Amino acid sequence: MPSDTLGEFELLVLLSILRQGDEPYANRVRDDLEAHGRRTVTRGALYRTLDRLTEKGFVRWSLEADRVPERGGHPMRRLAVTASGLEAVRRSRDVLRTFLEGLDPLLDGSR
Amino acid sequence: MTAPSPPPRAARWLARLVARDPAGPAILGDLHEDFVARCRSRGVAGARWWYRREVAALTLDRGIHAALAPFRRNGTVHDLIRHPGWTRDVALALRRFRREPAFALLMIVVIGLGVGATTAVYSVLRPLLLAPLPFEAPDQLVWIENDGNRASLSSVTSRASNLRDFRESTRSFDGLTGYFAFFEQASYALQGDGRPQELTGVGVAHDFLDVLGVEPAVGRSFSVAEGAWEGPRAVILSHGLWVERFAADAGVVGRSLTLNGEAWEVVGVLPASFDFSSVFKPGVTVDMLVPFPISDETDRWGNTLSIVGRLRPGVSIEQARADVESVLGGLREAQPERWGLEARLSPLRDYVAGPFRSTLLLLAAAAGAVILLVCVNVANVFLARSPRRARDVAVRKALGATRGRIVRQLLVESVVLALAGGAVGLGIAVLAARGVAATNGVDIPLLRDVRVEGTALAVAFLAALITGVAVGLVPALRVADGAESSTMRAAGRGASQGRGTRGLLEGLVVAEVALACVLLLAGGLFLRSFRAVLEVDLGYEPEGAVSWKLNPGIPFESRAEMADFYRQLTAEVADLPGAAEVGLIDALPLGKNRNWGFRVVGAPETEEPRGLFPHLVDPGYRAAMGIPLLDGRDLSWDDTGETAPVVLINQSAAETLFGSESALGRQLNSGGSEEPWTIVGVVADVRHVSPEAPSGIQVYFPIAQLWGFETLDLVVRSERNLADLAPAVSATLAELDPSMPTRTYTPLTASVAHSVSPRRFTLRILSAFGLVALTLAGLGIYGVLSHSVAERRREIAIRMAMGATGAEVRRSLVGRTLVLALAGLAVGLAVGLPGTRVVESLLFGVTPADPLTLSGLSALLLAVAAASGAIPAIRASRTDSMKVLRNE
Repeated sequence: MPSDTLGEFELLVLLSILRQGDEPYANRVRDDLEAHGRRTVTRGALYRTLDRLTEKGFVRWSLEADRVPERGGHPMRRLAVTASGLEAVRRSRDVLRTFLEGLDPLLDGSR
Repeated sequence: MTAPSPPPRAARWLARLVARDPAGPAILGDLHEDFVARCRSRGVAGARWWYRREVAALTLDRGIHAALAPFRRNGTVHDLIRHPGWTRDVALALRRFRREPAFALLMIVVIGLGVGATTAVYSVLRPLLLAPLPFEAPDQLVWIENDGNRASLSSVTSRASNLRDFRESTRSFDGLTGYFAFFEQASYALQGDGRPQELTGVGVAHDFLDVLGVEPAVGRSFSVAEGAWEGPRAVILSHGLWVERFAADAGVVGRSLTLNGEAWEVVGVLPASFDFSSVFKPGVTVDMLVPFPISDETDRWGNTLSIVGRLRPGVSIEQARADVESVLGGLREAQPERWGLEARLSPLRDYVAGPFRSTLLLLAAAAGAVILLVCVNVANVFLARSPRRARDVAVRKALGATRGRIVRQLLVESVVLALAGGAVGLGIAVLAARGVAATNGVDIPLLRDVRVEGTALAVAFLAALITGVAVGLVPALRVADGAESSTMRAAGRGASQGRGTRGLLEGLVVAEVALACVLLLAGGLFLRSFRAVLEVDLGYEPEGAVSWKLNPGIPFESRAEMADFYRQLTAEVADLPGAAEVGLIDALPLGKNRNWGFRVVGAPETEEPRGLFPHLVDPGYRAAMGIPLLDGRDLSWDDTGETAPVVLINQSAAETLFGSESALGRQLNSGGSEEPWTIVGVVADVRHVSPEAPSGIQVYFPIAQLWGFETLDLVVRSERNLADLAPAVSATLAELDPSMPTRTYTPLTASVAHSVSPRRFTLRILSAFGLVALTLAGLGIYGVLSHSVAERRREIAIRMAMGATGAEVRRSLVGRTLVLALAGLAVGLAVGLPGTRVVESLLFGVTPADPLTLSGLSALLLAVAAASGAIPAIRASRTDSMKVLRNE
């Protein structure tokens, strides 16, 4: 049963989709997560997370004809965060904010 | 820009199979996009390798999650992971195995054999077919050869002037280099520092290591000056020689060595990762590199070079081909008299691995069949046990165990077995890989790079594990379907296996026998081919003869002086007690490979010159080798530089050149001599390239008339034990020339063994697989039948109580086994026989449907089936029916 809370990786995937602007495609998201998320992202894990987010209604996607010839004629998957996805991100942000409040001196001080 | 090469076909197919959801096409696109990017950054081979790994990981990920999905939904996964008591489950599993040691041992051996065999073969395969060559950016390396037949080395080697012109005029290469392909014809006697030692050195262009991207372990590569004609003498030692002779002393660089009486400076040592012979000339030991000048002088030697080029980044081999062809076209126009202007380009990897591709793929297929057989076997035994397990499970469920706990218990059992089997398999694979890497003298490249291949180990192990787990779970799933009460009732009645389960079990036995049949078919055909090769009439007698390589340090002033030295040498050796025949030749059969042009005197001028295989011999050679003289006379020491030049030719040459006319007295022009050579005798054909290849045209020149050799081989035939004679021969040689290394001698049978070594190697692996298959099939039949007997003991007891005799029970059980084996045989042959057409090119002297192989393997399989079925059958026939019925 899909729950409406977000795991850490799910949150990062949603945020990354939002960051892609005009090019919200799976490969870009994966590159972004590897480059800035400080982690190795396996293809299987990303696709599975996208499937789960879709199932939860946080992401929808559509296939569009390939725009770059390097894809061997295969279509691209344009990802979009839905309104309830945005809402879930907002909730996660608020929870994080609440918990982080007042901790800056501690977190920065231990550097 | 499109991809320079498509992703690997099998992996693409698998990806398509795995990604069948609505987003699938986009996933394929993502993979393709990354593949293209990787092709650009890392090269095509690396990208293809990456693609396979990526698809494998995706498949595994999807497989695991699909398998777990139903359990996740009903909470089993939660039970499975969160419930404490893992150690207790392991202990429970071990206790169970102690109670059923035969079952546990059987599974461990079966999984171990399969995992070990498969891993060993993939480990052999990897360096040659899958892993990049041990050079920097190996995809950019290309092999450039003349456009001739690879059976003759001189028709595929190039002239030094070609390399020089390619270097100057082509634009597709970052570097072009080469080595002297006939390096085995010369040898270097290392003197000083103890006993003289015979060394093999390869002449290479000065930039050879730079183009390959090999860094010397110590010191440097050759300088331009050292690579010039009559430049400073320098050597780079092989890593092996450095360790053996110089105790890996880095101080050897800069020191001077005495080779063939001259001083050579050691400038570097090759790294352990680069073994010249392992890549370019397998089965030969190469001790050092020496500079080979690319100059007018070496150009006059003709086709002597093997050329390797490094493509500029972004340049495809097709572009390079066009580039080289246009340079050659220009040269042909500018210098119409120049010969040998041709070039054929292929990726270096194809040149190195190409000839062994089909053999290795066959071995890979055989390994695949073995692991499949293991899976079937595991499934078989687990299924046979499943009714008994179902009763246990039903009891536990009735006592309150949750489904998750039961599944976990069964999983733990499978995993423990698979781990133990995997450990046994790893042991087998490590031993096999070590054995292969230590093999010397096998004519297959890169064997020294064989290591246990982790991916193969993991895949084989996972296959066995997943089979065990999947089949082990059957009873748990059955119980969870609410069947526990009926299971327990059935258990209470001591019912036999259902018709469905028994049918499945028997189907699996048929599959096992079929797989074993296919493996035995391949093994049998290779065994027959191998024997056929060994039975080929080589034209000479390898048994009872040994050879010494002679590299005298004496600087002969004249041809007559040289001839006198060798005449005296053979005479003195022939005088030794026990030496029956003694002879000399510059190129023993099944070793070197070369080709000289010639013309028959009197043939039309327009006729193209033909190729002959030259042997430079002394008058004793023919008799020492046991080559029959068919017509005319033998060579003699009276044929000297002062008398008319004479030669012997072989039977094929006589037939090809002169048909039914006599060859005696006819003349040839060849060997750079002004005067024509008169044919004085015809000898039998000798297989000189390989036992499989026909003899072609062979000509025997007397060494006293043609001084065109670097070293000679002394052949000594003896009726007595050659090991007793050898020290006396060595001593005689050392007396004649103390600077000559004389201690190592080789039996002629060794060169035969070397030339059949790839076949022997393949045969060994296939035989091992065949044996494993036979064992597994036997174990499978035994396992299924003994379980079936145990399950059916009540039925058997009733039959015996009704008057059936022990013999009747035995007959019915063994008969059933034979029916299953026959069915397996039929399926195996139906699949295997068409399959043998694929390997037809690898066979020799045997047809794919060889009746002897077919009848032999059928008899063997049926015998094993009968024997495996007999033991449980005998046990069943001794059933005490009254006791059984009372207990039930």
